[in-house]
Amino acid sequence: MVDPSINERGGRVDKLQLIAIAGLMFLGAMFVLSATAAHQPDDLPWYDEMWIRQIIWYALGSGAAVASCIISYHQLARWSLIIYWGMIVCLVAVLIPHIGSTHGWGARRWIDLGPFQFQPSEFAKLAFILALANFLSRPVDELRIPAIFWKGIGLMMLPFALIMKEPDLGSALVLFPTGLVMMFVAGTPKRYLLKLVGGIAILCVLFVADVIFAPRALQIPIHEYQRQRLLVYFGASFADKNSTPEQKAEARRLQEKSSYQGKQALISVGSGGFWGKGWRQGQQTALSFLPAGAAHNDFIFSVIAEEEGFVGSTIVLTLYAVILFSGLRIAGQARDRLGKLVAVGAVTLLFSHVFINIGMNIRIVPVTGIPLPLLSYGGSSVLCSLIALGLMQNVYIHRKGY
Amino acid sequence: MLILDELKRNDAQLRLVAAMVALGLFVLLAGLWWVQVVSARKYQSHLETQAYRTVRVPAERGKILDREGRVLAENAPSYNLNLYLDDLGSDFRKEYAHLRPVKIVTNSPPFWKFWSRAKKVTKQRARLDSDQVDALAWQARYNVASKIASELSSDMGEPLKVDPADFKRHYATERAMSYPLLEDLDPAEIARFEEHYSSGLPVDLEMESQRVYPYGTTAAHLLGFVRKDDSSIEGEEAFFDYRLPDWRGVLGIEGGYDSYLHGHAGVESVLVNNLGYRQTANVWSAPEPGENVVLTLDLDVQRAAEQSLLAHRGPNSRAAIVVMNARNGDVLAMVSSPLINPIYNSNSPAYLADEKLKPQLNRATQQNYAPGSIFKPIVGLAALEAGLDPNALVDNPGYVYVGRRHITDLAEPGQYDLKKAIVHSSNTYFITIGLRTGIDKIVRMAEKFHFGERTGLTTRQETRGIFPSLKEVNSSDWHDGDSANICIGQGAMAVTPLQMAVAYSAIANGGTVFWPRLVERIEPQDPSTGETSTDYPSGLVRDRLGVSQHSLNVLHDAMLAETVEGTGQAAQVPGLKICGKTGTAEVMNEHNVRIDRTTWFASYAPYENPKYAVVVMVESGTFGGPTCAPIAHDIYEELLKKDPTIANVAKN
Repeated sequence: MVDPSINERGGRVDKLQLIAIAGLMFLGAMFVLSATAAHQPDDLPWYDEMWIRQIIWYALGSGAAVASCIISYHQLARWSLIIYWGMIVCLVAVLIPHIGSTHGWGARRWIDLGPFQFQPSEFAKLAFILALANFLSRPVDELRIPAIFWKGIGLMMLPFALIMKEPDLGSALVLFPTGLVMMFVAGTPKRYLLKLVGGIAILCVLFVADVIFAPRALQIPIHEYQRQRLLVYFGASFADKNSTPEQKAEARRLQEKSSYQGKQALISVGSGGFWGKGWRQGQQTALSFLPAGAAHNDFIFSVIAEEEGFVGSTIVLTLYAVILFSGLRIAGQARDRLGKLVAVGAVTLLFSHVFINIGMNIRIVPVTGIPLPLLSYGGSSVLCSLIALGLMQNVYIHRKGY
Repeated sequence: MLILDELKRNDAQLRLVAAMVALGLFVLLAGLWWVQVVSARKYQSHLETQAYRTVRVPAERGKILDREGRVLAENAPSYNLNLYLDDLGSDFRKEYAHLRPVKIVTNSPPFWKFWSRAKKVTKQRARLDSDQVDALAWQARYNVASKIASELSSDMGEPLKVDPADFKRHYATERAMSYPLLEDLDPAEIARFEEHYSSGLPVDLEMESQRVYPYGTTAAHLLGFVRKDDSSIEGEEAFFDYRLPDWRGVLGIEGGYDSYLHGHAGVESVLVNNLGYRQTANVWSAPEPGENVVLTLDLDVQRAAEQSLLAHRGPNSRAAIVVMNARNGDVLAMVSSPLINPIYNSNSPAYLADEKLKPQLNRATQQNYAPGSIFKPIVGLAALEAGLDPNALVDNPGYVYVGRRHITDLAEPGQYDLKKAIVHSSNTYFITIGLRTGIDKIVRMAEKFHFGERTGLTTRQETRGIFPSLKEVNSSDWHDGDSANICIGQGAMAVTPLQMAVAYSAIANGGTVFWPRLVERIEPQDPSTGETSTDYPSGLVRDRLGVSQHSLNVLHDAMLAETVEGTGQAAQVPGLKICGKTGTAEVMNEHNVRIDRTTWFASYAPYENPKYAVVVMVESGTFGGPTCAPIAHDIYEELLKKDPTIANVAKN
């Protein structure tokens, strides 16, 4: 599968991808600074400033990425099931009060480790990629056996269900495209996949229709905020048809409130225009229209888009494109199916994050709490993104098995 | 492309994945193009509407000056002690955290957290629903504001209170503006505040402009008044988020010339954050100050007239005085009594509403009065022009019959010529010659004086008076009795003191009826701006009587005799020859029963070359001679003092 001419080009690592990664980390530090500078207390020590901490996370993440390159992905794959089940235990643990922390938000997503918190759902995605790649790297013929197919689905559904329980809809949903693409690339028969995708699509439509149109009593029990986000995205009214005017007014107020973040993100992005307002000149964060708690993580893209305009957005998209396509090239150059699947899994995972996150900033997808790889502030997200990229490089480095 | 070339060689699945990634990124790029390039303007305006508030900054109101440049109305700063809400955000949050109910939970940490810093007893914030959160946040804000107010109270030495309803309204509607804790500080309070200012509280003094009238009630009716009104005037931006206090003239000069006095408000834009607190402000357009209005009024004459009225008739007299330059129609004084404070709100509502005093009325222009005998010279003029021999005698038996109606004459019985009839104000004489002349001619004469028409003041305080038209007097409803009433200034006619001043000026100046002029010019407040002032032409002729000088001379002589030997003697001023006519009109109720008297003295001087017309009207006086003439006397004294050229040279 490997073209000899590529080997001749040599190189221990994929340099182009590294340059793009460095570029994104640079942007990340710059704009975490821009997003947080206006709201940090004056007496905050320098090492506690968000952008410094982000740089520290980049350093730690780079270390983790290098570490994940040292051992060949074959070795890692051998441990994948153990890692996978370890993460499942963590995902269960996070649901138990006193272990899982809510951070004041509605969802129980974090495990408190004293000085910092750890978000197992992020790492679970990596463990899932490794485990599924390992599982799918068996001979293609075996993939035709329905039992194997369903086992693969089970491997995906277990973390999905646990993450949904937290609840963290966004993180749970990215498992689907990742798993499906890996199965597809591995060579799972198309009819299985088509049936699966069709089934999921029908379920999604039924689910959304239920949330929007069904009376309260017949609705699938989901969290109120999730229901509201969906209603906001589809532009449906919060109020029941036969509610009183007061209830309708209350519903409208609520709707305003829940559509607020998305609306403000859209105003940030749109008001940036073509050239943007300049670094640290964005008004939306300085004036707190973009909530200070979200601007530097889930909505970092709207900060960049406001300050650097369409030009900045294009630069960000280009950097991601470089990373994703070089990731796919690595997949193509991998010496075996395991390497290819690991690389494809990592690419799909990153792509899903990028698409959902940027998409929610411009209202293509509903607002979900999902970080933008490498740009959003947050240790778990930065570490996972860098480890995922490390895995790609691992595949690249070990493409010559001899 | 390098990357895509690589992919071409690889398998179909990877190619499909690459295509989907490319498609996804393209969708994002297209979406961003749509949002950031195509719809950028829409979102920029969204941003502006949510982040900018416009504030209307009023212009400095123009002054009102008398003809010699003395200030009758101007602006003075008043200071408010204001609380800056934008500096209180963190205090609000702290107070909120402090107020928020806390649950104390005792639990032992799980064994695997032995290393953690978890305490056994933890405080947990109680869960609140959104209404409770709102109520608590409001309580926190109010606590912070009233705490600052009470801290200031000790500094200022007086209790300061924050009214919850007012504070709530301000917070809801004017959050980007500072909140006034104490309004209109006196100098002692300002000094105390400056002394204690180091306390570091987010408060400061803010200036607000107030209208002041240095001469108090002087000419108050003419000046009119202003009221707080911050709405946009024509030609200004109509929509503002906030408006600073401004004044709008309602009546009088303040009202009629408001468009000049008012200037143009400026626009300030305030950048606010998501909570609506002020961040920065900058001026988009500076306010253009209003223009000064220079009146034709002479403050000295005005005050002399007011003081004389006060001295002779007391503060509750219902009276009016008009002093006019007979040669050009300039109004030199216009007095209405009872006095009113031009700062409208300092008048007690009971006083303003007093049915009898009606202090809000400008009696010089706004009320109809029967002129009584002071109308007789006009009847005489009509008769003279119709060929009356002024020396022809009319027999006065002490009464006159018109049809079957008996009208008594207060002048004693005897033979009367025109001069004697004016001096003794004979009803019989004027009814006789009036009826002989014919009501048509009297009406035509009155039309030239423009009785029953407005004099064109812009003070929004004018009534037109009443006078029958030719059509009315020729109708079958009109009887000789009605004509007889007109001949003695009663019945179906009414005038304002200003109309009488215009009429007597016309008799005095040889027959020119002027438009009365109140405003000499409009000039820029700051002459250095190079803006030009607008002059209102003096001596604007409204009509010419077209009467012979001979007829007028007859009247001059008769009216001079009135003040020399007749009922108007009290008006005499040594060294000045005054022509005048007293009048006492009866005020009838609907049953034709006399309920009151309107007393008049209408006059002009000097006899030789008349320059000033003075009309004094007092309601409920005794007679024109004793009631009104002494007031005219004081005014002529002042006029003589101011303008010695009118003195009788022959006598001195």
